[in-house]
Amino acid sequence: MRNPALQPARPRIRYVSPRFQGPAVLAFAAIIVTGGAIFWKLVDGKFQQVFLNAAIRGHYAFNSAYDIGRDLLAWHLAGLFAGVFLTGSVLVLLLVAATRHGIGKAVDSLRASADGDLSTPTGTGSIGEFDRFGEKIDAARSETLASVLKIRSEAAALAAGGISPEEFRLRWDELKQRIRRIAP
Amino acid sequence: MSDPEPAGNGPLIHRRYVFGLLLRLCVNFAGGVGILFLILYFALSRPLPGDYAGVFHALRNLSPFLRPILAVSVLVYALLACGSTSALCVYILHKVAGPLYRMELVLDQYRSGAPMRTVSFRNDDQIQPLAQAFNRWIGTLRHDRQRWLATMKDAERHCLQDEATCRAEMEGALRKIAENLARYR
Repeated sequence: MRNPALQPARPRIRYVSPRFQGPAVLAFAAIIVTGGAIFWKLVDGKFQQVFLNAAIRGHYAFNSAYDIGRDLLAWHLAGLFAGVFLTGSVLVLLLVAATRHGIGKAVDSLRASADGDLSTPTGTGSIGEFDRFGEKIDAARSETLASVLKIRSEAAALAAGGISPEEFRLRWDELKQRIRRIAP
Repeated sequence: MSDPEPAGNGPLIHRRYVFGLLLRLCVNFAGGVGILFLILYFALSRPLPGDYAGVFHALRNLSPFLRPILAVSVLVYALLACGSTSALCVYILHKVAGPLYRMELVLDQYRSGAPMRTVSFRNDDQIQPLAQAFNRWIGTLRHDRQRWLATMKDAERHCLQDEATCRAEMEGALRKIAENLARYR
């Protein structure tokens, strides 16, 4: 029976990537806080007037202050919801567009790599996480290109002739080893 | 019923995912506004005193009394909405962040030269074409590698004959490989 302590730890699925989710969370928080501040400023200003006006007007045909401020509150709450939700929706659509653009470029770059183009930059854009990801892809591609070019030049040098049989055999075996290291 | 999309040509982010995110945000913000309404409702719905003078004074003093309640209720709303939206962002966006993180690990693994397996994401993850494009690239490289090694092995078979034929075949194989490698730029 296997000892669970000796088994290698299974890689955990990471749900939180602060570089990607962090800015989104901060942007949503900014929208909510801004919406709340505007709501507070507007409603506070209106409450200062509406209850004073009601006190001066007389004819108190209401049971509570809620009866006076009901419509005002309802409209401002509806405005708060609409404002925050619409701004949040725009942010979601921007996030989706940025992801589609950034990852789309990475996908195009990998597809081009499969067709042999390992040098054209990925160009994922200037958004932090995607930019970093694009750089990683470019680094992997350029390393592959470097090793491919090395193999090519070595193959061409060996094919040119003028090498002693012993050296040729040695370099032939080295070349095979180098080829084996591509995409292990 | 729509046909399944061919592998690698699927959308990076599905519309259903975006609509799901918007719907959850809508419910989340509506919940926040609902809580704000409840707090303000309980603050405002206290019955006013019965007599005329009592109502007058109560209404006159209500605005300064409501100011801190309003501030606290907006603060509660902001904290609750921010907390729940953050949780929602983490929960929803991990379907993009998770695969992205996994691809970063795979790229690091590739660069380190360690043996790799085909990359696959979880079923409900977004950006699936990324894994398919990467697998296609690695697949092409592996296919080329096998082809070059086979060419070399084929040339080595001629070494059972005389030395000159062996060398000529090997040089021919190397020229062929160099030509094949020329497609990489």
